[in-house]
Amino acid sequence: MTDYLRVEAVNHSFGGLQALNDCAFTIPAGRITCLVGPNGAGKTTIFNVITGFLRPDTGEVRFRGRVLTGLSPQTIVHAGVARSFQNLRLFLDLTALDNVMVALPGGFGEEPLGALFRPFHAARTDRRRREAARERLAHVGLADRAGERVRNMSYGEQKLLTIARLLATGAELLLLDEPASGLAAGALDQVMALLRRLQDEGKTLLVVEHNTRVVQQIADHVLFLHQGHLMAEGTPAAIIADPALAEIYFGGAL
Amino acid sequence: MDYLYSYLILSEIYVLLGLSTNLLVGVVGIFSVSQAAVFGVGAYIVGDFLLSGTLSFLPAVAVAAVACIALNVLITLPSLRVAGDYFVVTSFGIQLLASATFTNWTWGTGGANGLPGVPPPDLFGMQIASTRGILAVSTVAAVLGCLAFWLILRAPFGRLLKAIREDELAVAAAGKGVLRAKVSAAALAGAFAGVAGGVYATYLSFIDPTSFDLDASILLLTMVVVGGARTLWGSVLGPFLLLALPQLLTLIAIPTTYAATMQQLVYGALLIAFALFRPQGLLGERL
Repeated sequence: MTDYLRVEAVNHSFGGLQALNDCAFTIPAGRITCLVGPNGAGKTTIFNVITGFLRPDTGEVRFRGRVLTGLSPQTIVHAGVARSFQNLRLFLDLTALDNVMVALPGGFGEEPLGALFRPFHAARTDRRRREAARERLAHVGLADRAGERVRNMSYGEQKLLTIARLLATGAELLLLDEPASGLAAGALDQVMALLRRLQDEGKTLLVVEHNTRVVQQIADHVLFLHQGHLMAEGTPAAIIADPALAEIYFGGAL
Repeated sequence: MDYLYSYLILSEIYVLLGLSTNLLVGVVGIFSVSQAAVFGVGAYIVGDFLLSGTLSFLPAVAVAAVACIALNVLITLPSLRVAGDYFVVTSFGIQLLASATFTNWTWGTGGANGLPGVPPPDLFGMQIASTRGILAVSTVAAVLGCLAFWLILRAPFGRLLKAIREDELAVAAAGKGVLRAKVSAAALAGAFAGVAGGVYATYLSFIDPTSFDLDASILLLTMVVVGGARTLWGSVLGPFLLLALPQLLTLIAIPTTYAATMQQLVYGALLIAFALFRPQGLLGERL
């Protein structure tokens, strides 16, 4: 049986810094896997490698048996793997709805010839896509914020919007970079509930997360990354209970 | 009356150029300071074809538009690798290179002496010699340009371009092709500039490198900044307003020897003042 996502012997250096060092792991379909580890462990770097934003020095990533390494981010999204960013990277001057619509696949009139010579057809398909985008917004609880410029939205709403935009890509494997960081308790619960709902709907999630409470509540499986290498993996309870890992995580000398 | 026609024709030509610059600089955020060079290439191509009698007006404009599409795509390509401010430097170099070519390539451009005696436009075998006739041509061109710009802005393509201006990486992460969209926008901007060049050459009947130099490129930027980025009305208002300026200056009693310098001074001051105090221009959005 082929693994859902397999990261194989990935190495990557930035100058003299070995950010990923023989990094290897697999994640199963339909589960929430949390990626934890101290700052600088290579969590965001492996995200960049999986999603095509960074080409590793060596090693490869396979998704459903297909090699992703070397493909463009665009192609990887179409293959079914999409990611969010730790610093959100929303289009601040566009409305919430437009942010989601940019990520919806297959719009007619997204190139100039269609836009210029078949404007009515473009407008019609755009109306249908607008409904689809509204559904994504409603899905994350932002239905009434559709027309708002992202600039004017709260941080919590912006975080939810990044998830709506991610859903709009139609990808089945979602990589979320710290979806819960910086949120107050209420918004935090909302995001956790949303992530679990996405899992129920058949999505597979790989989540970078620092908050151990969040990890405990949402993770089916935990990968512990240290110095660019998979140091341990297991259930959330086992990982959190391991004193050696806690030592690394909370900055003890090792 | 002739003065009014002349003002309208030139303003409409600059509306096309304003749309071209606004699409690139305002909408996609490719900060080009070489749009006058593309305009010049369009003007010289149409001028050369009509002078030699090889092609009539419309086919010559079509050739100019295609050439300017190719040229603009080519000179915009560095923006795919060189981000933001650094591209301005690249684009500045391209403008200087173009100016040097216009001035020195005597065979194609007449060099510093320019190309005199470009015949007026002809349509379907009829020469359009009257100013009023040319006004009709420039009006049709400007209206078509505005329609195209408007359609682009409200289409999904416009949304994609605006998203690219804000965050290219996020657009790539959303599964959309940044390269293709940028090249398409550059092509459109090139077509606008090429058509504007053709109308310009046939209307003035004399073109020389001073119309297509760095000052002209900066004038185009000023039009976009003053009129307003990313809106149709901003691109229309900017040219009409700034081209009225020389006339307003004649109302103030300044010696004619200073008038040209004075004009540049006012353009520069306007650019700085708007950038500082009203970055969204009169009818636009924040640049």
